[in-house]
Amino acid sequence: MRLRVFHRTEYDYESPVSASYGQLYLLPRRAVGQEVVWSELRIEPTPDSYNEFLDFYGNRAANFSVSSSHRRLTITATSEIDLTGRSIISDDQFQSPTWEATVQALKTSDDPDILETREFTFASPLIPKSEAISAYAFSTFQPGRGLLACVSEITARIHADLEYQPGSTSLSTTPDDALSLRKGVCQDFAHLEIACLRSVGLAARYVSGYLETTPPPGEERLQGADASHAWLSVFVPTIGWIDVDPTNNCFVGTRHICTAWGRDYGDVSPVKGVIFTDARNTAMTVRVDVDHV
Amino acid sequence: MSVIDSTTLLRDYRPPAGAYDEFLRGGGQPRSHWSHVGTALSELGHAELLRRKHEVDRLLDADGVTYNAFGSADPRGRRWSLDPLPVVIDSKDWSTIESGVIQRAELFALILADLYGPRELLKRGLLPVAVALGHPGFLRPCHHQPSLRAGAAAPPMLTTYAVDIGRDATGNPLALADRAQAPSGAGYALENRLVISRVFPSLYRDAQVHRIAPFFRALRRTLQQAAPRKSDPRIVVMSPGPWSETAFEHAYLASYLGYPLVQGSDLTVQNGSVWMRSLGRLEPVDVILRRVDDWYCDPLELKPDSQLGVAGLVDAARRGVVSIVNPLGSGVIESPAMLAFLPALAQHFFGQSLRLQSVQTHWCGDPQSLRYVLEHLDELVMKPMAREAGRSTVLGWELSGAAKTELKARIESSPEVWTAQAPLALSTTPTLTVDGFESRRGVLRAFAVSQGDSYTVMPGGLLRVAPDDSISIISNQAGALTKDTWVLASEPEQLTGYWLNQGPVVEAVDPVGSMPSRAAENLFWLGRYAERAEEVVRLLRVVGDRRNDFSNDANPAGSQCLSLLLCALTSVTATFPGFTDAAMLSDPGHELFNLIVDVDREGTLAHAIRHLLDAAYAVRDQLSNDTWLVIGNLDREIVELNANVERQSAVQGALGVAMQSLLALAGLAGESMVRDPGWHFMDAGRRLERAMQLIALLRSTLTVEHDKATDSLLIESVLTTAESIITYRRRYRSQAQVQTALDLLLLDRGNPRSLVFQLERLQADIAQLPRSQSGSTTDRLLTEERLVLEATTSLRLADTALLAEVNEAGERFELDQFLQRLSELLRRAAEAIDSDHFARQMPQRTFGQPQ
Repeated sequence: MRLRVFHRTEYDYESPVSASYGQLYLLPRRAVGQEVVWSELRIEPTPDSYNEFLDFYGNRAANFSVSSSHRRLTITATSEIDLTGRSIISDDQFQSPTWEATVQALKTSDDPDILETREFTFASPLIPKSEAISAYAFSTFQPGRGLLACVSEITARIHADLEYQPGSTSLSTTPDDALSLRKGVCQDFAHLEIACLRSVGLAARYVSGYLETTPPPGEERLQGADASHAWLSVFVPTIGWIDVDPTNNCFVGTRHICTAWGRDYGDVSPVKGVIFTDARNTAMTVRVDVDHV
Repeated sequence: MSVIDSTTLLRDYRPPAGAYDEFLRGGGQPRSHWSHVGTALSELGHAELLRRKHEVDRLLDADGVTYNAFGSADPRGRRWSLDPLPVVIDSKDWSTIESGVIQRAELFALILADLYGPRELLKRGLLPVAVALGHPGFLRPCHHQPSLRAGAAAPPMLTTYAVDIGRDATGNPLALADRAQAPSGAGYALENRLVISRVFPSLYRDAQVHRIAPFFRALRRTLQQAAPRKSDPRIVVMSPGPWSETAFEHAYLASYLGYPLVQGSDLTVQNGSVWMRSLGRLEPVDVILRRVDDWYCDPLELKPDSQLGVAGLVDAARRGVVSIVNPLGSGVIESPAMLAFLPALAQHFFGQSLRLQSVQTHWCGDPQSLRYVLEHLDELVMKPMAREAGRSTVLGWELSGAAKTELKARIESSPEVWTAQAPLALSTTPTLTVDGFESRRGVLRAFAVSQGDSYTVMPGGLLRVAPDDSISIISNQAGALTKDTWVLASEPEQLTGYWLNQGPVVEAVDPVGSMPSRAAENLFWLGRYAERAEEVVRLLRVVGDRRNDFSNDANPAGSQCLSLLLCALTSVTATFPGFTDAAMLSDPGHELFNLIVDVDREGTLAHAIRHLLDAAYAVRDQLSNDTWLVIGNLDREIVELNANVERQSAVQGALGVAMQSLLALAGLAGESMVRDPGWHFMDAGRRLERAMQLIALLRSTLTVEHDKATDSLLIESVLTTAESIITYRRRYRSQAQVQTALDLLLLDRGNPRSLVFQLERLQADIAQLPRSQSGSTTDRLLTEERLVLEATTSLRLADTALLAEVNEAGERFELDQFLQRLSELLRRAAEAIDSDHFARQMPQRTFGQPQ
C-alpha cells in the first residue's frame, strides 16, 4: 500500500520577521513496516542556509534559516511511503515475557541491544516522574502478568479515561495534567502512556507521524481533516519495539506512517523555530493530507 | 600593639592535627621547599603583612576585580578576596599532580569523543547509560559535531579543562570534581599572580616561581588552531553579560588575549556562517571561547527561552563552520558519578591506573554501592547528578534523623541520580587574619589547555580556602578566600614562546571589525551619562553656594536668583514638577537631597552615575586598567550615598568626591584612550550631552530679563556652572552683560565649555564613525552629519547682539527660538547616531516548542 503525505504549515505574522531559524522533523525515517519512496521539503522564502542530517536517534532532521525580512513562512513536506506491514502479535506473545522479567532484563542485561534501549526507561524533559501516574499504572501492572497484555490493557484504559479534545491542552501540558484533566490530544495520550510504562521500569519511546484515516462507507474522503499524529513504542526483549496507539486504542498495523522517534515530543517536534520580530500575534494554518497513490 | 607586631608566621602559626599542612611538617618545622619563602614571610612580621594585605586590596580595587555572588548584599558583586600569603608547592610534588591532570584531561577527551560518537563505552557496559545519557549535560543535539569526531585534524573534544584537587590527611592529592563546561578561574589566577608579584616583588623574583603567562599563550595558540578556516581566524570570547558571576574574568581574559568580548545577541548565524554584529557590518567568527553554559547557547536546539545564546549555533557547529571551545555538550563529564568509573576507563583507554585518583566515590545506581551508601549515610557527602535548584550537596553527618529518613527515601526512589563521596580532610595552609596566622583548609583548581595531542597545565592554579575554619564546602559562592599558588622551578626557567615575534609583519586587526556594536552603544552612553553626572554636580554646587549666601537673607535679588536657579535645576535635569512647584521652592532641602541620591529617578546624580557604571561594566574589556580605579571609586561612592540617606551633611562632601572621580574619568578619556571608533562614540556622547545641557541651562536662565541685581547674580551663576566665570572676569573686566556672556558660552571656539566647541568636536567625532559598506564610496553625508553641520553653521552665523535683545514682554524671544532649534537638531542627531550605528535586534520568540 503506497500513501502520499502532504503536510503544509504556514505562519502569517502581523509585522515583519527579521530572521527565522527552524528545525523540522517532517521527512519520514527508516522504520520497521515502511519504505520511504521519496520525500521533499520546500520552504518559502528560500532559506539562506539548509542542512539535512541524521540526529542522535537516526531521525531525518532539517535545519534552515531565513535571514531576510518576511511576513509569511511556508513549510511544505511531501513524501510517498510504502507500508509493508508489521508482524502480528501472537497470543503467546501477549502472555510472555512477563513485564517483571522485561524490567529485570532492562536493568541488568549487558546485551548491547538492550543497553541501547535503557535511556528510554528514564524520565525525560516533558515526561517527569510522577507518583500519581505510577499509582495509575500499577493497578494494571500486577505481579506475573504478560507485558503485552498489560500494555494492551493500559492503552485501553487511557483511551477510555481520556477524552480526545483538540485544543484542550498545550505544548506545555504534562502527563500529570492530562491525567487529572482527563482529556487531551494524541500527544498527551502518548506522553501519559509512556509515563505509565516508564514508571514501572519499562522502555518506551515517543513516535511522531501520520495516520491514514479510512472514510466512512459511501462518503468521500475528507481532505485536510487529518493531522500529524503521535503514538509510542514499547520495547519487548524477545520481539523488539512494538508500536501502540492509545488515541485509537490499537496496536499499530498498516495505517500509521512513522516520521521520527525520541524520548518525548521535545526531541521530535515536527516544526519548531526561533524568530526575531515585534509581532506578538501569529496566524498558523496547518494542512495535512494522507492519500492512497 | 607591640604584642601583635612581634607575631610572626614561623613562631605563631599552629596548624591543627589530623590534616596535612602545606607549610609545616609534623614537628612544627617548615617543609624544605618553604624554607626560603617561609622565612622571608616570617621576617616581615604580622604588622607588615597586614600592610601588604591592604596593598593587595588596593591593587584589586584598582583593577576592579569582583565576583558577582548570587544574593550578595551589594548588587554589583563583591571584591575578589585574595590572601597575601602564597602557598608553595615543590617541583616534584607538582610534576605528579601535573601528569595526573594531563592524564585526566586526555581521558575525558576520549570519553567525550566516544559519547558523542559511537558510544562504545555504553554498549560495552564500561559506563552506565544512566551516568552518561541520564545526565542533563548530555546534549543529544550535539551528537556528531565535527569537533567531536575523533581524528587527528579535528580539535579535541575537550580544549580547556579544570579539576578541583584536595589532599587527604597524608598529603596525597585527590581529584574532587572535574570541570569541562566553561571552566572559570584561570583569569582570576592570573590576576592573583599579578597582584602578589607586585606586593612581594623581591620575594617573588628570588623564589624562582614557575610563570603562568605561558599557559595563556598556549591557550591563544590552541584557539587559533581550532579554527575551521586557517588563515586569519577571528576569535571571540562569549559571555553571558556583565551580571554573570565571573564577568570580571570574561572581560579580563578577552582583553588579555586580545579578542572581542561578546554576548549572544552580538552574534548571528546568517548564510550558514557565524557573524559578529560589529559597527555597521557583520564580521565573520571562526572560534568562540564560550563562558556561557552550553545549555544556554542556542534557543533553537537547546534551551528555548534562553536569551544568552545564538539561534542556529548548534547547527553551525554541526556543519563545522565554527569551533566552540569547549564544544557544546562537554558538561556531561562533570557528572559526579563519572568519578566512580574513571579507574576502569583509564585501564580501558590507556592500560594504566589513574595518576591523579578521585576522592572515594559511590554511584547509587549500582545496587551494591546503594546498600553501602544507605548504611553509611552519616559518613558521606551526597551529590545529586546535576547542580540545579532544589538539589544540592548534602552532608550526611549534618542531617537530623527525620531528614536522614527523608533523604534515604529520595535516594531509593531514584538511586541513579545520587552519588556519594567520602569527605576529604583537605590540607591546611597559613592564612593572614587581623589577629595573626590561622590555618584554613583549601582546594586547588588546576587548569589545562590542549596543545597538539596532549595538554599544557598552568603551574599552580587557583587555591581557594575556607573563609573560616568551620566551613566544610569551599566555593566562591560561599565566600571563599583565594591564594596565589607558587610552584617552584627545579632549575631557572627558560623563557619560551616570546610575545615578541620575528618574521613577517602581522596585519593589525581592524578596530571597526573587532568591536561589537553593543560595545559602541555602551561607550556612547558612558560618555553621555558621565557628562550628565558632571553637569548635575556643577549645578548643584552653584545652587548650594547661593543657598549659603542668600537662603536666610532678606536680599530680594539673592533669593530670586536662588529660585531661578532651582527652577533651572529642574529644567536641566528634566525632573518636573520639582521646583516649578512653589511649595517646593520655599523648602528646597528635601528635593535637592533627592536629586543627589535617588537612584531610581531619572535626572538625578545617582541615576546618572548608576547608568554610567552599567555602561562601563558592559564594556569593561574596552576600558584601560586605570579607568577601573575611578569606576571602582564611583561605585563605592554611590553605595555610600545610598547608605547615608539620612545624613544630608555627608552628602555635600560626597558631591566633591564624585566630582573628582568624574574629572578623573574625563582626564583618562582624554589622555589614556586610543582614538579608535569606540573613543569617538564616547566623545560624541560627551559632546552631545554637554551641548544639550548648556542649551537647557541657558534657556531656563537667560531667556527672560529680570531686574539688574538679579540678572547680575544669575549670569554669574550661569558662568560658574559652565566653568567659564574666571575667563569671563578676566576678559570683560567691566560689568556682566548677556551679550558678552553669550559670546563666551556660545561662540568662543577657544572655550572648551562653549557650545561651538562641543559642536565642532561632535562634527569631528562623527566624521570618524564607521560608515556602512554601502555608503562608503559616496560623499553623501550621514543624517547625523547633516544635522550637526546645520546646527554648527547656524551657531557660527548667530549674532549675539540680536540674540541678547529683549522684547516688550521682557523676553529674549530670539535667543529662546534659536536655542530651541539647536536643541531639536541635536536631539535628532542623537537619534540618527543610534539608528545608523547600533544594531537593534527584534525580540526573540519561539514557535512549536514547549518552554
